[in-house]
Amino acid sequence: MPATIPPPVAAAAEKIANDPQIAALLKDQSTDAAAKARWNQFLELVRIPSPSRQENLKAAEIHRRLVAEWGFSPSEVMTRADGVIEASDTNIVDGLPVYNACVVIKGSYSGRADAVNYKGQFPKVLVEGHIDVVNPEELPKTGDPSIRIKLQPYAQPVVATPEELAAIPDELSFDARGRVVENDKYATASKVFANAKDAEANGGVRIYVPGYGDMMPSTSNAFVLAAAMKKHNIKPVYDIWICGTAGEEGKGNLAGMKQLYGFDQKAGTGSNPLNFVANFGLEGGGTVNFLGSYRFEMKFKAPLPRGGGATGPSAPEAMAAAIARISDVKTPSELRDGAPRTTYTVGRASCEPPPAGRTVAPSCSLEVDMRSPRKETLDEIRNNIEPMFQAGASAENARYGRKDGSPEGITLELMWYGLRPAFVADNVDNVAVHAGLQSGIQLGVLTSPMVGAGSGSLNDNVPANTGIPTYQFTLASSAAGAGGHAFWEWGTRGAPATEVARMHRVLTAALIVSGFHAADGTVVPPAVGPLGKRTREVAR
Amino acid sequence: MKRLILSLAFLVSVAAAATPAFAQQSGGLRVDFQGPGGHSSGAYGRVSALHAAARAVILIQKALPAGSYQITNLTGGNSVNSIASDGLIEIKLTAANAAAYQALVAAVTKAAADGAAAENAFRGVKPGDLTSGAPATVRSFVKPS
Repeated sequence: MPATIPPPVAAAAEKIANDPQIAALLKDQSTDAAAKARWNQFLELVRIPSPSRQENLKAAEIHRRLVAEWGFSPSEVMTRADGVIEASDTNIVDGLPVYNACVVIKGSYSGRADAVNYKGQFPKVLVEGHIDVVNPEELPKTGDPSIRIKLQPYAQPVVATPEELAAIPDELSFDARGRVVENDKYATASKVFANAKDAEANGGVRIYVPGYGDMMPSTSNAFVLAAAMKKHNIKPVYDIWICGTAGEEGKGNLAGMKQLYGFDQKAGTGSNPLNFVANFGLEGGGTVNFLGSYRFEMKFKAPLPRGGGATGPSAPEAMAAAIARISDVKTPSELRDGAPRTTYTVGRASCEPPPAGRTVAPSCSLEVDMRSPRKETLDEIRNNIEPMFQAGASAENARYGRKDGSPEGITLELMWYGLRPAFVADNVDNVAVHAGLQSGIQLGVLTSPMVGAGSGSLNDNVPANTGIPTYQFTLASSAAGAGGHAFWEWGTRGAPATEVARMHRVLTAALIVSGFHAADGTVVPPAVGPLGKRTREVAR
Repeated sequence: MKRLILSLAFLVSVAAAATPAFAQQSGGLRVDFQGPGGHSSGAYGRVSALHAAARAVILIQKALPAGSYQITNLTGGNSVNSIASDGLIEIKLTAANAAAYQALVAAVTKAAADGAAAENAFRGVKPGDLTSGAPATVRSFVKPS
């Protein structure tokens, strides 16, 4: 789908991309020392475990570095250690605090006599990447929580089991302050390659660590960009917030974005309490359509055991009956040519341990994920799968002649329900898409203002469904990688120059929207008005 | 007479306890499933170790006599939005004697392998296939717990 780039956006892109202040920032980031600093920062952050809704350790380290190392004052850090953003009306999501880590590049707009605000909030542009990772599943209760980063030569096969991964002898080392030790293993891991073939032929290694592909290199570089903007005194007109966001993975339910956009899942509305005017995500390339998803956590509860050791319906077997039914489902796209790609999986299951002295699991729970870019096909897969929860319970009850719903049978309880509303961009002429495309055209990455038809399930679901224009980039550079969301997630370092080029594009796009004080004293005006969209008024 | 019968029954039970081949035997098994896992959407089409484990439970129900087993745990996966790379069934078995117990173990082992095979067949993968360099199939492993 083509977009029509307004001439002022094209002019702004040319002006910003060639500004001497921007050039100085990029030159600074192009040195070997800067490339090494980015690489080390990534390695040091990615090893901090950050399960969804337990991102406090990683957020705390980012908060610490923002002030102690990256040049910001405490007042420029917009998120608190307890998870609160003071101006948000949504600081608790699904009953839990939200561990975002955000910093502001202060703009000039609020100092204007005629500045417009929304309930005290001046306009902002958000640049964000998530900091949560699916592995490990939870923070360890005791001991050093840090993840071991394993190194494996390409000549060896990809590991087949977690045990094989743990047995790899070579790993990176870190000192007591969490700094990577620059030993021979570090030197091997730090080699730069063009692609997997190059790495395989020239001594590359697979670097195994959760988050390598999804998506810490990009998020870490967002904070590099923030620090560089601060150092080089890049001055936008509207504020730019750069955030590491929580809750994108697992049961996170997009908690970080819901806090930032005041999104109420039940109502399906966002209050946009901070008054963002545009959103830029850092997890992909140019995505503007966002997959919808339904997620359920269902608990299968066993009846109390009868006396005398008599057997009865089993929670594990009821859950197994449900999962086995779901496992045979064919999605609309598997059944019909032309149907939107639709997917599902039972991602996780667990059982409550039997009480001491007993062997009956009191309950078991499963979590299922369903996705499709269109509501119709998403509802179709939901309508197929959802009855299978009860079908599993009923089948187990029937084996013992128990009635559904009776105290002597398996009962079902909905524990959690997740919704990512689907979003299909019927019109791509908005400020985020214009800035995203034109920054690419200006820098020679794109040749035309075309938007792809693909869909992703990303943080952007929330702003898109709140009416905020959004576009996707990446700041990562990997030569190769695989195993995302699995125990064998790995990557190999790519060219640092690619990171710098991507920083150039993201910086250009963000400043097109926010406006920019150029080195020649002129001001590139913001590409959008000062009031962000919302689908609900803020409760404040 | 009644006392004599009770005494004989006692002697028989003691003798049975000292002779494992004729003693009731119970124990636990741990049935692990290992697959490639991956992103629930991006890697859709890969096999699920958890789906395989659930398929195996249904096969266990069909293969083992009622009362001979109890499944105490079924678990797997690391997040709702990931295809499960691991699955686990924990099961307790009870048999009249050691031979019968071994028959139960064999039945569970077969059910586990068949559950994994059914999941592999549903997703069209076979032993030796790779996905992004990793083994594409789900495999089962049975050992005493």
